[in-house]
Amino acid sequence: MKNRRGLNILMNILLILYAVFALFPILWMVLISFKSDTEVFTTTFVFNPTLANYREVLLRSDYIRYIRDSVIVAGGAVLVSIIVGVPAAYALARYNFPRKEELAFQILSYKFAPEILVVLPLFMIYQKLGLYDSYVGLIWVYQLISLPLLIWVVRGYFEDISVEIEYAAQVDGYSWYQIFFKMLVPLIKPGLVSSALLAFIFAWNCFTFPLILSSNKVYPVTVAIMKYLGTDSAHYGQLAVASTVSALPAMIFALCIQKHLVRGLSFGAVKG
Amino acid sequence: MAKIQLENVKKAFGKVQALDGITLEVKDKEFFVLFGPAGAGKTTILNCIAGIMMPEEGVIKFDDQVMNLIDSAHRNVAMVFENYALYPQMTVYDNMASALRSKLYRKDESEIKERIQWAARIMKMENLLERLPSQLSNGQKQRVAMGRALVRTPNVFLMDEPLAHLDAKLRNAMRTELKEMQANLGSTCIYVTHDFMEAMALGDRIAIIKEGKIVQIGNGDEIYYMPCNEFTAQLMGDPEINIIDADISGSEDGYSAGFRVKGEKVTYALPKDAGVYTKIRELNLTRADIGIRPQHVKYSFEPKEGYFKATVYSYESIGNKSVIVVDCGDDANSQLRMIAPNGLSIAIDSDIYIHLEMEHAILFGSDTKEYIVRYDEANYIALAASQEEK
Repeated sequence: MKNRRGLNILMNILLILYAVFALFPILWMVLISFKSDTEVFTTTFVFNPTLANYREVLLRSDYIRYIRDSVIVAGGAVLVSIIVGVPAAYALARYNFPRKEELAFQILSYKFAPEILVVLPLFMIYQKLGLYDSYVGLIWVYQLISLPLLIWVVRGYFEDISVEIEYAAQVDGYSWYQIFFKMLVPLIKPGLVSSALLAFIFAWNCFTFPLILSSNKVYPVTVAIMKYLGTDSAHYGQLAVASTVSALPAMIFALCIQKHLVRGLSFGAVKG
Repeated sequence: MAKIQLENVKKAFGKVQALDGITLEVKDKEFFVLFGPAGAGKTTILNCIAGIMMPEEGVIKFDDQVMNLIDSAHRNVAMVFENYALYPQMTVYDNMASALRSKLYRKDESEIKERIQWAARIMKMENLLERLPSQLSNGQKQRVAMGRALVRTPNVFLMDEPLAHLDAKLRNAMRTELKEMQANLGSTCIYVTHDFMEAMALGDRIAIIKEGKIVQIGNGDEIYYMPCNEFTAQLMGDPEINIIDADISGSEDGYSAGFRVKGEKVTYALPKDAGVYTKIRELNLTRADIGIRPQHVKYSFEPKEGYFKATVYSYESIGNKSVIVVDCGDDANSQLRMIAPNGLSIAIDSDIYIHLEMEHAILFGSDTKEYIVRYDEANYIALAASQEEK
């Protein structure tokens, strides 16, 4: 009894230490966002909080536009991934065709490629095709990030659904589309939602692709943050504001769906 | 309700020929049992009838109408799947209502409710209606799967081992219930099982399936008393029929069968029976496989006239009776099974004396393994025919 209690206390101390370690950078970033440029480098926690940085970033720059671009690009990428990926996952799970596993692995292997390696040839191709600096171009290239994840998670869910359930629904008088939307989609939903949200976060955080493949017309927030490192002086306060705000969606999503995320990615569809 | 016909239906999975020319006709309102060992193609036949699978060759007809190109939704069949195939996201009630809520078979909600309650009462699961499939035991899932089929009024009920996962008591009760229900509903039913008791009890007619082919079709008595080959004879009956490889000798005045027991020759006179004697003469039989059901093997612990000596291999209770297995030679083929009462004190490897009641024997060809003749054949033909009329 005593031992267990001691162990508990020790565990909690370790967890608190880890939490401080993990959260400190975020805390520091938030603190900086309330400091004026002169106080940025003080390492004490005493300073005169100011909202000037926020005013500067949110009201006097194009920051809202950058956020909007990020939403369009990341959201569009996930949407396309769902539309393309769910049928692809179904096909990979249900149908037998030559070289199926090779194809599945090929899709997964897109995630292996280091972004920096493929981005230069892509830059040339995009220039030629006129996709450079366009929403379509970025949404397309983001498929490298979001599509493999979605296909592999959802495929697992489809594989867990016994094919007899589809047969039973056929016999019950449903057409294929009705079966798909009424019977199958509810069963893959946990996997679909969690992998889509994760894909959204990955796409949102992507830096290399938009850095090289877009410039003025499309400006996702990850790249835009660099603007606050001005050419003459670095406005760390504004940089911190931009970072904090851009990290918010990912953090909020992660907190809201934390439980479902872990369950959705690790559990199958049909648990008896 | 409808008459179901299959003509020369073939289906292959890769190199495996699952169905190899199945031809059968299920009459309207008939309870038809497909019986055979695992992997014989029984489920594939159901899937072809349901339209889940397309046969490569052959025709499937409902009431003389070719159904090959009609998809399963439009065939109006109700199917019970062996692995239940319940919709995991729906409650039992919604599962059962699913067909009646589809566009094709829509009924209004009050009627759906009525039918589901009727089916739930029969399946003894009124208390389960609000549960999800994941909260059910296997036996309960199976009852839900049955219930989901029963609420419909289909052309045919297709049931794939629907009682296999129920406990013994419920299974027996359901068996009786099912037969009665089918008679009351006046529905055609095709029922797959690998339990011969179920096949005998339920089937108006039984089709024996082996390796994608139909071995024999007939009513229970026909198949039990006049199995068309040794395979069928061995499938029908528990404990399994004894098959003895014997020499036939003698003349029309009296044939006898000889076989070896522990290296010694034992000869049995074959009782006179017009049918049997005629067949032996016509075919000029010198060898035959003699099939004797375990209940027609007698035993004694004292030497007796007409009994030969063997040793006890095992003595097991199978409920209200026991089975003695005796060794008559060195390999498993020379073992004989017989029925005995419970509670005997029989020591393994002790001596036992065996008598075969030849007047119940079935003769099979020793090479072909096909049925030749049996004792009292005319009587059994008459018995089978009277079954048919009912």
